[in-house]
Amino acid sequence: MRRVNLSPLIAMVYRQVKRWFSARSRLVSTVLNPLVWIIFLGLGWGSVFSASGFKGALPGIPTPPGLSISDLVQKYFNTIFGGVDYLTFMVSGMASMTVFLASFIGGISVIWDKQFGYLKETLVAPASRKLVIAGRILGDAIVTTVQGLIVILLGFIIASGLRIAGVGIALIYLFLLAITFSSLGVVIALKLSSVEGFQMIVNLLTMPLMFMSGVFYPFTTMPSWMQVIALYNPLSYAVHAVRYWLTGADVGLSPMTPLNDLLVLAAGATILLLTAGFAFEKTSIEE
Amino acid sequence: MDVIVVENLVKKYKDVLAVNGVSFTVRKGEIFALLGPNGAGKTTTIHIIATLLKPTSGRVIVEGYDAVKEPGKVRRLIGIVFQEPSLDQQLTAYDNMYIHGRLYGYSGNELRKRILELLEFVDLKEYAFKQVKHFSGGMKRRLEIARGLLTNPDILILDEPTIGLDPQSRARVWEYVRKLKNDLGMTILMTTHYLDEADELADRIAIMDHGRIIAMGTSLELKNMLGSDVIYLKLSKQAPESLCREFNGVKDCRLLEDGLIELVVENANKVLPEVMKLVMEKGYEIREVSYRKPSLNEVFLHLTGRELRDSLEASSPPRGRWHR
Repeated sequence: MRRVNLSPLIAMVYRQVKRWFSARSRLVSTVLNPLVWIIFLGLGWGSVFSASGFKGALPGIPTPPGLSISDLVQKYFNTIFGGVDYLTFMVSGMASMTVFLASFIGGISVIWDKQFGYLKETLVAPASRKLVIAGRILGDAIVTTVQGLIVILLGFIIASGLRIAGVGIALIYLFLLAITFSSLGVVIALKLSSVEGFQMIVNLLTMPLMFMSGVFYPFTTMPSWMQVIALYNPLSYAVHAVRYWLTGADVGLSPMTPLNDLLVLAAGATILLLTAGFAFEKTSIEE
Repeated sequence: MDVIVVENLVKKYKDVLAVNGVSFTVRKGEIFALLGPNGAGKTTTIHIIATLLKPTSGRVIVEGYDAVKEPGKVRRLIGIVFQEPSLDQQLTAYDNMYIHGRLYGYSGNELRKRILELLEFVDLKEYAFKQVKHFSGGMKRRLEIARGLLTNPDILILDEPTIGLDPQSRARVWEYVRKLKNDLGMTILMTTHYLDEADELADRIAIMDHGRIIAMGTSLELKNMLGSDVIYLKLSKQAPESLCREFNGVKDCRLLEDGLIELVVENANKVLPEVMKLVMEKGYEIREVSYRKPSLNEVFLHLTGRELRDSLEASSPPRGRWHR
């Protein structure tokens, strides 16, 4: 038999992808969960942030000459949301959120592996531990990026302002985001032994990170303390960049440019991937 | 040739000594069994040999490689079947095998061929593409054995290979283990708490208790440690008491009913011909001969003061036969 150097990495990528396909319920929830957000939050708030249905005058406010109030209000909303309607704004952030949630919670499979004994199978193999864990993270990242793509494609049906040309580039950012949070999930999971403990930590982190990432509302209108936190949130950079490539809306804080976003995500992915590698090398079956 | 050398192995968890100065060697091509109750330190010992745990002190040398200093080399030489299942239940039998092969650096057509060969060896070929979660306990264990063999290891380590299996599955696993030794000359190191399993399969047995090896040898050697086989002779007619005084090398002699004589001897194999000759010379006709070797259970009882069966039930305190 032929010896292949990257073989352990391929083994784990293969495993994660196969597992995803074998769990069809997960496929459904991948699509269903963001769909719920899009429909109820996106459509609900979408019509609030739209002046098109607004015809009359506001009591006590004189109408400026040459402009209708609805035009004025619409202009204001468009500025806030970077020139697109709210539904498009939100849907373009939803792909990043899906990838973020799926990859972060994906670390839970490490704990399942501890409980079902599969971790021992990977620990006793003569393969490089770094390659094994990198393969696992890579596999999860591929799977979650595909989930992100599915959400983007759904977005095309629901929202009007998305551009097909930006999808390819957006996927690169989503993939780096997936590596970042898969690695973080794995690092946390390697330290823990219970599923409940992991879920608690992840739930504690996901909600604030989600709301301070610019998915649901722009950074510019956030309170300044929230902006500071958003700056240290890797998800913010993915949300900004993916939205930029999908819709052209450039709504971010000052350091956020498509290039900077890429650098930040690449750095985050590299650092956390290496951390996961070192953490897995130190792993033994001792409690 | 010794393929595994274990020297003065000690493993301490906080203040519990799981393994306390264990030394033994496993020879090429033999089946070596660590026999003992749960918590005796068998699995810990095996995990150290398999490089999954680091010993507190002592050394393990596998085919010349130190398990602590060169774990990668040792991992290449061994295949291991863990006590608890370590399969990915969501995947098929084939995929479990495939990923294992890939982890060890194999790929391509030969890997595919070998997977199917081994699945056939353990009679799972028709289930190759079924998800493991639908498998029975016996099927899972067989799959794990096949997986352990995939990379052609020199040494196969089996941790309680038949725990929780029904009698048919057990017999099947035994059959595979015998085949591996006889047909392929594989060296097998196994743990078990089943006396019959160690007796049936192992060339040599080390009895472990409380982290120590308390006796080691072939099944026969261990039983001979007790040195009291019991011979039963059934004669055509009732013999007088005086017959008992005629025997040499007999520890105890009793006349029972129906012409039955019970003799407690050092070694029945050696004494029996002489005893029979003597009885016949005295003019008795022998109707039946039987003798009973002490079982491993009696050996364990002799060494620890309690029965192996009893110590399996962790909830009940160990009861020696002496106190009953």
